[in-house]
Amino acid sequence: MTWTGVLKGGVFVLTLAVLPLLGLPHWVLNMLIFVLMFAALASAWNLVGGLTGYPSLGHAAFFGIGAYAFALLLHGQTELTDGWQPFAWLPAIGVGTALIGVPIAAIAMRTRADVFAIVTITLLFVVQTLAFNLHGLTGGAQGLSFPVAPFPADTFERPFYYVLLGLLVLAMLLTFGTLSSKIGLALATVRGDEDKARGLGIPVGSAKVLAFAVSVGLTAMVGAVWAYYQVGIIYPQFAVDPLITIAMVLMVFLGGRGTLWGPVLGAFVLESGQQYLAYELGPSQFYLIAYAMIFLLIMLVLPRGVLPSIAGRLR
Amino acid sequence: MSDLLRVDGLRKRFGGVTAVDDCSLAVAEGTVTALIGPNGSGKTTLFDLVTGYRKPDAGRVVFAGRDVTGRSPGRLYRAGLSRTFQQARVFPQLTVVENLVAAAGHRWWRLAAPRVSAADRRQAETLLAEFDLTEDADRIAAELSYGRRKLLEFAAVLMSAPRLVLLDEPTAGVNPVLVERMEEHVRSRHAAGVTFLIVEHDLSFVMRLCDPVIVLDAGRPISEGDPSTVRADPRVLDAYLGG
Repeated sequence: MTWTGVLKGGVFVLTLAVLPLLGLPHWVLNMLIFVLMFAALASAWNLVGGLTGYPSLGHAAFFGIGAYAFALLLHGQTELTDGWQPFAWLPAIGVGTALIGVPIAAIAMRTRADVFAIVTITLLFVVQTLAFNLHGLTGGAQGLSFPVAPFPADTFERPFYYVLLGLLVLAMLLTFGTLSSKIGLALATVRGDEDKARGLGIPVGSAKVLAFAVSVGLTAMVGAVWAYYQVGIIYPQFAVDPLITIAMVLMVFLGGRGTLWGPVLGAFVLESGQQYLAYELGPSQFYLIAYAMIFLLIMLVLPRGVLPSIAGRLR
Repeated sequence: MSDLLRVDGLRKRFGGVTAVDDCSLAVAEGTVTALIGPNGSGKTTLFDLVTGYRKPDAGRVVFAGRDVTGRSPGRLYRAGLSRTFQQARVFPQLTVVENLVAAAGHRWWRLAAPRVSAADRRQAETLLAEFDLTEDADRIAAELSYGRRKLLEFAAVLMSAPRLVLLDEPTAGVNPVLVERMEEHVRSRHAAGVTFLIVEHDLSFVMRLCDPVIVLDAGRPISEGDPSTVRADPRVLDAYLGG
């Protein structure tokens, strides 16, 4: 790791760590929480969609699995005495979902490109349908309730903010570790020419299944924090939401696939932009059209994403 | 000299076309064997069958005394059997050094090791010096000319210290200077103990470099011997010119 890289990362994390202490209004903190959440999600998606070149559209399924796992763990309790304690479930939810991801990846990743995209989006709708219909487990469309976090009202956002910042740092460290080890090299060969990579004896299968498992494990942990932030109840259409998948993909494409900072940049630009548009254009959902136009523009003007395009100009 | 590679009664059919038909041949250890034949005679399909990229419908492939029929290309590669492709296949977004390191045949338990360790880099640089690619070491492979990409692909398969290298048209689409260099590289590696099987259309290249020469037509060998014998064989003329 270069010293400038460490410095850049340190300044980035410190700045974000100080922000909530500056007495910002609640709506700004709420927005920042969603920015951090999507930065972590986009970084997680990048492991599969960017580094490996497998365009997963099913990540929202694992977001939902994490959210429901968390809600179910708290469902039986009437009230919480310590608001921080439920966060201790995150590692277990992450590892558990990663293990669920292993057989799914082993099967789904036998397909490639557009077929893989269809297989994974099918997975998303399977999980959403299950969330709607397994009434005994998820409460169906009525939603699943659990106790509200007992944090003081004036600093209610802080715990969620810091845990999401932690998950973002974890996702970025994992990305960095991947990029600087042989697994990153193996994933890059998969992205470039998978058949040739197999022919060179590169452990293609292990590398891509591992990347998928880590990616969905991270996604599920973010989903769990999201659920906790939903003040006591989650609904299937929001916990397993295709828009979350699409946001992850858009952010990575905007910032630059396969880069460390691209997904973070994409999330900061798109999520704050979306919140602004949603505010300006009101609840009319016109902001979704603006969103689609941004995506079209990216594909036309910067098909490789912002960071790789800038790096290309500088070479 | 023993046979490093032997195929017995190999057959591969695509729909109604039998690309390789009851084909038996052998490559002796320590030779530079050529495989020539008119277009569509099954040369590349035979390469695919030998290197595991396609599964034969019938027949056996024996490499270094072991039956390896139907083994995956990755396992064969690690066992010492490597190949290049007709259209040079390198990883375009990786640097030249990374292309070499990726081809070194690391197993899954090395996935956590550094992407390019100091030892990897030293090994790669030795090969780059041999192939006169040192100045391109940290360039993205996509930026290389086609001829240099072919050199890179050739250099990369040598990272795993192969016993047998199959070259599929090493001189196709490269300039005459590079053809000469390609020839030198084969010679020097051959002197270092590597056996070659080369598919090639440039017959003067084949006649200068290879012995023996095997001629394939309609999916099976029709003639085999040293270059002058093969050149004088009327069956070969028939196959090329149509009789």
